Amino acid sequence: MTRRWLPLAIGSGVVVWVVALALLAVTTRDSQEFGRLQPWILVINAAGVIVLLALLAGRLGELIRERREQVPGSRLRTRSVALLSVLVLVPLLIVFTFSVLFLTRGIDSWFHAEVRQGLSDALGLSRAALDLRMREYLERTTEIARDLEGQHSAVLFSALDDQRRRSDADELAVVSAGGRLEAYSAAALLQGMPPAPPDEILLQVRRGERYVSLDPAANGGYVIRAAVGMGQESSLKSRRILVAVYPVPQRLADLAAAVQGAYQQYGRLSYLREPLKISFVLTLSLVLLMALLAAVYGAFFFSDRLVQPVQDLIRATRAVAKGDFDTQVPRASRDEIGYLVTSFNDMTKRLARARGEAEASRQEVENERTGLAVILARLSTGVVSLEHDLTIRVANHAAGDILGTGLRERAGETLDQVAAESTLVAQFLAVVRPHIDAGQTEWREQLSLKAESGRREIMCACTALPVEGDEPGGLVLVFDDITQLLHAQREAAWGEVARRLAHEIKNPLTPIQLSAERLRRRLLDSLGERDAEVLDRATHTIVQQVEAMKQMVNAFSDYARAPAVELASVDVNRLVSEATDLYHVQDARVHFDLQLDPGGAVIEADRGRVRQVLNNLLTNSLEALEGRPEPMVAVTTRRVPVNGQGFVELVVRDNGPGFHRELAGQMFDPYVTSKPKGTGLGLAIVRKIVEEHGGRIEAENHPQGGAQVRVWLPVDEAARGAVVPRDARKQEPRREHA
Amino acid sequence: MHATRGLHAGLKRAAVLLCGALLAAAALSADTRFAIRNAFAEPVAGVWQLNVIVETGLSEPALEALAEGIPLTMILDIEISGERRFLPDATVAELQQRWELAYDALSGRYVVTNINSGAQTTFATLDEAIETLSRVRNLPLIDADLLEEGRRYEVSLRASIDIGGLPGAIKVLVFWRDWSQSTDWYTWSIRP
Repeated sequence: MTRRWLPLAIGSGVVVWVVALALLAVTTRDSQEFGRLQPWILVINAAGVIVLLALLAGRLGELIRERREQVPGSRLRTRSVALLSVLVLVPLLIVFTFSVLFLTRGIDSWFHAEVRQGLSDALGLSRAALDLRMREYLERTTEIARDLEGQHSAVLFSALDDQRRRSDADELAVVSAGGRLEAYSAAALLQGMPPAPPDEILLQVRRGERYVSLDPAANGGYVIRAAVGMGQESSLKSRRILVAVYPVPQRLADLAAAVQGAYQQYGRLSYLREPLKISFVLTLSLVLLMALLAAVYGAFFFSDRLVQPVQDLIRATRAVAKGDFDTQVPRASRDEIGYLVTSFNDMTKRLARARGEAEASRQEVENERTGLAVILARLSTGVVSLEHDLTIRVANHAAGDILGTGLRERAGETLDQVAAESTLVAQFLAVVRPHIDAGQTEWREQLSLKAESGRREIMCACTALPVEGDEPGGLVLVFDDITQLLHAQREAAWGEVARRLAHEIKNPLTPIQLSAERLRRRLLDSLGERDAEVLDRATHTIVQQVEAMKQMVNAFSDYARAPAVELASVDVNRLVSEATDLYHVQDARVHFDLQLDPGGAVIEADRGRVRQVLNNLLTNSLEALEGRPEPMVAVTTRRVPVNGQGFVELVVRDNGPGFHRELAGQMFDPYVTSKPKGTGLGLAIVRKIVEEHGGRIEAENHPQGGAQVRVWLPVDEAARGAVVPRDARKQEPRREHA
Repeated sequence: MHATRGLHAGLKRAAVLLCGALLAAAALSADTRFAIRNAFAEPVAGVWQLNVIVETGLSEPALEALAEGIPLTMILDIEISGERRFLPDATVAELQQRWELAYDALSGRYVVTNINSGAQTTFATLDEAIETLSRVRNLPLIDADLLEEGRRYEVSLRASIDIGGLPGAIKVLVFWRDWSQSTDWYTWSIRP
């Protein structure tokens, strides 16, 4: 509502102001018109100046504030306002200066000495003409007075009237020396009493002089008044006085009035000369001031129109710089600025579209990268991306698992730095470095790393990364722990061997044994004592060795045989207790230190096989402890969470000589034994059973001496699927990162 | 010493000059004094009549204006108010008398015109004309019947002389010039 009325109010104000200004210009010259309005006109003009000043002060204050706050566009606004103001100011001041000059000179030119002289001369001429007439009338009055002398008061009036008719006089009056009217005659009908003659007439005549004067008449013309004494001059005080009033001839009166009017007007102007100049200059100054203020205000207005789109553009540019591509600038005009605004809007639209596309493709890449990261994280294959100087860019979790050190967390460091802290990485690097130093980027090699828990077979492949832009391409090492695979292959091969051996060897053993026994039975009694003794010893040895061979073949057969696992609930603690009791009975020297989980260690497993695991491990320990002082076997069970799944950890440790260092990594292979009597199948069978149950086994030497075997067995079917990491003993849940 | 004496002499001279200037100003103000010297009202034949003597000293601009043929206007503002208890005085009558004094260059005479009545008198000299203007005799003020007997009334009087016929805008713009003279209010009380 206010916005609708504002232009109307401003328009009305401007109209009133312009009218007031025009009226001021008119009234300065002439007082007759708009007499009452003059103060109001001045007030309106002054109010206009004050309003404009207030508006300008407001705008100026706003501009200064914007400059201080460094609002964008304020400099341009200041410059445009200053420029427009100067552009208006200079011509206005020039016009003002010349106007004042012309005005003062113009006013001065009215008052040339010649003009005044001319007017004075004209006035003198008029007076001269009238003087002639006045003298003439004075003489005529004197004649009338002479004629009337001696007339008696009774006939004086008629004589007076008669004289008036004969002369041109308008009025004739006879008054006493004291001013009392004695007779009076007038051409016009008199209303009321005739006026008494002025004192100056009476005084002059009483002094014995004649009186004549030109008097301005009330109706605007002139009359000639003449007065003379009647009778003897000696009796001045008793003399009567004749006063006559004559009209001035119309033509002469008009001319004289015109001259008088012109003279008076000139005198008026002459009197007002300086005030007129001052008021004209002041009016002009007022007009100039208002025009100037209006122009400066207009400069603000136009600078607003000019700067507003620029400010919008600056604001929008900042918004775009901050990433807001939806910013649109309203198009204000159809000029070049408008074109610029349109172009800007087009640009932001295109930018928005381009950003959308870039965002989509980035999202796609991100998704792919996330997918890749998930895949890498889930991969059991180790992947390490390296710079050419062997700085780690990226590594997955499996790489850390395989090499026993969290490579992922050490991105940015070189493999050398990591190798200084990890023997596995050092061994790995020792194989990798020669290839890289030789400039080989595509190679594949199987390497064998010696870990404390055993030998690890690693298959490692290297490939070069493509160069991306300025980024130099690096290398990708992909490696896999194929220990299990090789072991499985070896086991399968050994299984086959064992099966054939069992088959091929076991068959002839029984006839050999039977034949030996038959020989012994038939010939022992028939031979001499000495021969009989030889036969007995020989057949005994044959039977004994065949029996031993049978046992060996049965062991082979057991290893090769893979019957189905029969799962049942098994209490590992109980099995441990039973087994240790049995062994304790066999050899009371050995001290069994049991630390069983009080919360129970029940798992789903094949009871017989778990018992076999326990028996094999305890047998191994006891065999290792033969002849050792203070033999001790420690068995520990406890429940451990791995990947959120329940496992039972079984640790069997002895204080024997420990594993041979040269056997490290091969302890679970068949026929690998450090014992003179061992078949080398004990730990191989243990590992086979553990893996059949979905568990994991590790063997190592304890830091305080002795061998230590750790077995993790899943508590249920759900846990069976969980991977048991190599560092499960640290009991740290594995974290997977997407 | 010499300097002090010089200073004293200078101060003395300045004091003398100041006194001279003040005396001159006093003389000038005595010449141009414009004030109501005396005024009274009396009932004559049932009408209260006013008699005023105004001390009419014309200012320099007024005299200049007159010499250039610009008429002067003398205005007499009269106000009669009745006294009231506990209330502001009530205005009973207000009237204004106007005269015009002009110089006729052709005849060389001064013309005094009563604007209210139109009566015109001419004078050979300015003094005579001013003398006539200065004395107001028997000006009918108010009918005696209109005033309550025994009640106290106040008559206030003010005279002013204005340089007539000039543009108002000039008077406002060149405000520092004495365009008009005015007396103070002259008040006295009457009790019918």
